[in-house]
Amino acid sequence: MARSALRKVTRAEDAGRSPIARLDRDRSLVEEARADPSRFDALYRKYLAQVYNYAVYELGDHHEAEDATERTFLSALAALPRFEERASDADGEGASTFRVWLFRIARNAIAERRRAGRRRPEAPIELAAHAPDPVDVEGTIVRREAAASAWRAVDRLDGDRRRAVILRFVHEMSTAEIAAVLGRSEGAVRVLIHRGLRRVARDLRDLRGDGG
Amino acid sequence: VTGLHSRDGEIEAFVVDRYLESLLARDPDPGADVPHEMRATAVRLVRSLPRFHPSFRFEEELAARLAFAARSDAASGETLIALPEVTRTPLPAPAGAERVGPTPVRPVLVGGVLTSAAISIAGAAYVAWRRSRQPDGAMLRAVRAVARARTV
Repeated sequence: MARSALRKVTRAEDAGRSPIARLDRDRSLVEEARADPSRFDALYRKYLAQVYNYAVYELGDHHEAEDATERTFLSALAALPRFEERASDADGEGASTFRVWLFRIARNAIAERRRAGRRRPEAPIELAAHAPDPVDVEGTIVRREAAASAWRAVDRLDGDRRRAVILRFVHEMSTAEIAAVLGRSEGAVRVLIHRGLRRVARDLRDLRGDGG
Repeated sequence: VTGLHSRDGEIEAFVVDRYLESLLARDPDPGADVPHEMRATAVRLVRSLPRFHPSFRFEEELAARLAFAARSDAASGETLIALPEVTRTPLPAPAGAERVGPTPVRPVLVGGVLTSAAISIAGAAYVAWRRSRQPDGAMLRAVRAVARARTV
């Protein structure tokens, strides 16, 4: 049964290569920003948190993340006239190719920051630890412990496997979107996420001391 | 054998991907052929990995910088390419979303500070805790007595 489902997906992927079968959900905002660059603000407000969040996870530092975010949006504004919509059926319902395009710019900006980076990266969960909850202390500690162990397990994953897991679970991107951001096939992304999840599950089991 | 093994891996990955799709749509498929441990891990990742939001100050400063850059762009007279008009149908709400129960609460932090949403959750927890306490326990009376003694 799973095999036939896989064949269906392969066909959908093939069909998805035809140009613009599905629309970018940001098309109207992109059109407005192209006609009047001051309208770019709507796209900026919509995606600021996502880009910043992505940068924090990649760089592990709020200041570095702010720099990368700033570069991303300034580059996107400058390059908007050259943006080409390439949405396809394989991108799934509600996919936004503008978002994918923006994340690819962010990925480059983050790589630049990483090359020039001087700060020691902190795990996001350590950054979160700077925000104590003065009221629900016990609950905060339990949640923070759960988050910290989950994050540590994710952080131990290698490069693109870790990126794919974060884009899937934190940014809730579709496989097609992640494939476009990372420049890999959808099949490869599915395998990255599957192996990443299995590894995280095993690490969390070892942490609990369950053994097998 | 290696090819078959690899294909099995792709099939497993595909089944897990379908399950994650349903989980992220807040309608997890109970019949998916995914091991319990992987399901539990996926739910844990969705619930516990925090999201970060930049500070309001950074957001507004960058907005101003972009507005300035946009004005400079417009003044330079660069040709803008218009996309063709297309109608878009709204996305349907995920079916059976109500079966999932409360939406998983994911920590949200603004530049390292708890958001108002998180604070209100904490506030609700505090009120619930206060309600579960005895209104006038011996310890509370003692604390009040000490406080009164100090103010005199």
